Amino acid sequence: MPHENDIILSFQDLDIRFTLRGQVLKAIRGVSLDVYRGESLAIVGESGSGKSVFTKSAMGLLDANGTIAGGHIWYEGKDLAAFTTEKEWLTIRGKEIAMVMQDPMTSLNPLKTVGDQIEEAVVLHQGLRGEAAKQAALEALAAVGIDDVERRYKQYPHEFSGGMRQRVVIAIAVACRPKVLICDEPTTALDVTIQAQILDLIKQLQRKLELTTIYITHDLGVVANVADRIAVMYAGDIIEVGKCEEVFYDPKHPYTWALLSSLPQLGVKGQELYSIKGTPPNLFYEVHGDAFAPRNPQALNIDFVERPPFFDVSPTHKARTWLLDPRAPKVEPPEHIRHLREQGGKSYA
Amino acid sequence: MAVFRLKDSKTQKLADSLESQVRREFTEEELFQFAPYDPDAGERGGYSGYSYWRSTLRAFRKNKVSMFFLWVIVIMLLFTFVEPLLPYDKEPNTIYHSEQVVLDLFTRQPKVDAEGNVVVKTDLAKDIKPCKEFWFGTNVIGQDLWSQIWQGTRNSLFIGFAVACVDALLGILVGVLWGYVRKLDFFFTELYNVFDNVPQTLVAIIISYILRPGISTMIFAMCLTSWLSTARFVRNQVVIIRDRDYNLASRCLGTSTWRIIRKNLLPYLVSIITMRMALAIPAAINNEVFLTYISLGVPLETPTLGTLVEAGRKVMSEAALRYQLFIPVIILATITISFYIIGNSFADAADPKNHVN
Amino acid sequence: MPETREKLLEVRDLKVTFGNRRHPFTAVDGVSFDIYKGETFGLVGESGSGKTTIGRAIIRVNPVSGGQVIYKGQVISGKVSRELDRQVIHDIQMIFQDPMASLNERAKVDYIVSEGLYALHAGLPEEERREKVAAALESVGLLPEFASRFPHEFSGGQRQRIGIARALVMEPEFIIADEPISALDVSIRAQVLNLMSALQKDRGLTYLFIAHDLSVVRFISDRIGVIYKGKLMELSGSEKLFAHPLHPYTRSLLSAIPMPDPIGERNKKLLVYDPSVHQYSETDPPLWEELEPGHFVRGSRRELDQYRKVLGQ
Repeated sequence: MPHENDIILSFQDLDIRFTLRGQVLKAIRGVSLDVYRGESLAIVGESGSGKSVFTKSAMGLLDANGTIAGGHIWYEGKDLAAFTTEKEWLTIRGKEIAMVMQDPMTSLNPLKTVGDQIEEAVVLHQGLRGEAAKQAALEALAAVGIDDVERRYKQYPHEFSGGMRQRVVIAIAVACRPKVLICDEPTTALDVTIQAQILDLIKQLQRKLELTTIYITHDLGVVANVADRIAVMYAGDIIEVGKCEEVFYDPKHPYTWALLSSLPQLGVKGQELYSIKGTPPNLFYEVHGDAFAPRNPQALNIDFVERPPFFDVSPTHKARTWLLDPRAPKVEPPEHIRHLREQGGKSYA
Repeated sequence: MAVFRLKDSKTQKLADSLESQVRREFTEEELFQFAPYDPDAGERGGYSGYSYWRSTLRAFRKNKVSMFFLWVIVIMLLFTFVEPLLPYDKEPNTIYHSEQVVLDLFTRQPKVDAEGNVVVKTDLAKDIKPCKEFWFGTNVIGQDLWSQIWQGTRNSLFIGFAVACVDALLGILVGVLWGYVRKLDFFFTELYNVFDNVPQTLVAIIISYILRPGISTMIFAMCLTSWLSTARFVRNQVVIIRDRDYNLASRCLGTSTWRIIRKNLLPYLVSIITMRMALAIPAAINNEVFLTYISLGVPLETPTLGTLVEAGRKVMSEAALRYQLFIPVIILATITISFYIIGNSFADAADPKNHVN
Repeated sequence: MPETREKLLEVRDLKVTFGNRRHPFTAVDGVSFDIYKGETFGLVGESGSGKTTIGRAIIRVNPVSGGQVIYKGQVISGKVSRELDRQVIHDIQMIFQDPMASLNERAKVDYIVSEGLYALHAGLPEEERREKVAAALESVGLLPEFASRFPHEFSGGQRQRIGIARALVMEPEFIIADEPISALDVSIRAQVLNLMSALQKDRGLTYLFIAHDLSVVRFISDRIGVIYKGKLMELSGSEKLFAHPLHPYTRSLLSAIPMPDPIGERNKKLLVYDPSVHQYSETDPPLWEELEPGHFVRGSRRELDQYRKVLGQ
């Protein structure tokens, strides 16, 4: 269980910029977020919202044209934002913070057997040698739910199915005994049935190894089962953060409403699904006020003028929307959201 | 005030409209009222103004080294055409003579004949080192190397361009058909296997024996075999992109094979084809040098870099005459290196992955 | 009764085999179903189940190695006459999965959308062509001025709509949508689904909707076929399928649908399909039978009896 006062990773006023064809893109605009030890946090947002960039910055994996322009990333008393050399990052990357990417094929070496690749990680991070290393690698394979490990150990990545490959990637990431595991869209490339199994696996491993996990996804539906807390990201900014139940049953930001109610699972045949019009803003421009305002049918005038501050809904739940200002008119969340609260959240007070 | 670093007029307009929206003044009460909503507004965003070719040129121009070599090639090519028109120019094939005053053996004074004229001896102006009269010196029979070099460069570049063009035309045509039309795959593969086993040198030797030696024979001999590898290269590239979704889509729309080749395949191959062409030019020039070395090249009265290098090679052992080898070799090396660097950096520039900064 | 409706497309015992004679791989094995005019038929299965292959076999990108595809009473698989070929190109169109890969990056939107017109309406006046492109773009909610731009300037959702406009310009009757939304952000999926429904209503389109996610298919389909390793497992009206899923594979697909409901999700039990539960044998082979009107299931005699009992309750 997460310990609320025990912060393992803390982003403070983080600014990340990219230079692209001579223009400056503000990918992350002054974002602060605390990650508690042992929790499972989901960062949800559309592609281009900056969710991947945000977490990659904690591993020193920004593309060459991207820089941390301001702010701090605190991890165990060290400011990762101040790291400049690859040597410094190697003390963190993989060892302390590991990552599982979307496409398992790109993170595996196609020319080496799966066993060798896991063993490599074991040798590097657990300091085991020879037979002991092989034993540890076999155990790691078994731990991620792969049967017949002796045979699988000698196989190459292409002999595995997509879901099995993702299990191998997870085995490698976990073999380094990291404290934080970042899962960047771990199931997007997979079938629905496999997706559920992989999420289940990550959940089990988290409990067993006392990991802190950060999920990155565009699909709110996927994380309902696995996340303790959810942070919703839009146009390089976190606009709502709260406990899983709070975000699903009592969302406050119009963008969170829109994300939730556009899920096809909630659609009724013959009726139109709720949909968000248009596309996310171009971050080459200065964003004024609430970045979601141009796509929000119920935007207020002030949304175009001033960036909303965080309003506290509860000690654990806050949202950046002017609708929470006492001066704002009362706007009811869409029907689907209310329905969801009544239906699922019966036991949620 | 935000500073917009944008050149594009469309994006500028968009920025202006955003600015004007911001500038409006509201009272506090108005601030918390609903703003007008334009559902199309969100659709207009996200304009990137990216253009493949513009970005490719941009990336290429950024590479100072390859730009320098591009200028080198352009200037060299232009100069080969301008050079014959320059004043004081000498004919490349004229054999020059020098006149020397004959000295009396005993008095060491200029010899005077019966009529009182100074006796002058006419001789070939051969092996003269670079000087004011002959800028690059003369060769073993007294021809002006300066004009020979530039005429030779022009001929060699012509051979290079001609071979590369035929190479590209034939290679692309055959390669695309070979790769895209499945029915032709077997036929072309077998054809390739047969022809590829015939050594290129052998073909060149036979052709030069059959036909009258000259530039066109040389080009013909080289073209006869060189397109094969280009065709195979293009074929492999086509096979890679042949079954991409956008090509399937075109097939579902009933687009003809010819149109698919023109609109779907070739535009994706332009960059790699350009690079191959850039490398084929120096390859052809060097090939010509080689053929001349085994005395199958063009006749002596047509200077090319090949004949010049070959002539220089013959006098290489004599230190004083090595300039006759070094000058054409330097030109040859410059051409080869330039094209190589231009081709490589163009290929880099044409890769969309490198268009980010 | 659906049976009285006009059959637009019939797939009869379809078989598609890849590879050479020595290493054949049967991607689709004896699949039969009908699609009625004006309906949406959903085809659901995991990757490698052969669902995409079926779609591509219908539109004739993949050759058929057995069985027939019949469109409006005419066999369109195998060799066809020139006229029928033109008709099929005109009538059947496809929407692709990945909007990043399905548009020609080097062509402008104008060309992409009008590509089909060049082949089918050769010699169409420039003015008319431009009007058709503008109309197609507008019908998918894009601005006509986008015609002069390149695909990479658009977001995933916009690109997918360009792909739909490209199909619409042909004025087709039948559209095969191969996972049209699985590569899109969730926030954009609703846009595309709504658009497809609206177009169906306006133009009386018939869809074959291919997906791996049952929740999406349920929202858009009238009838659903569940496919596993090249064979149909269950076929039924979509509400019926959700109310009474009979085949264990269908049930595992249903249990895997992620719901945006944390408390419900925590109590959910995930079913994993294990093909060995069937114990098919020579004497008890799997059959394809209609257990209630319009509800087909694959199973052995023993299993089918069990399913009947479930339905009877």
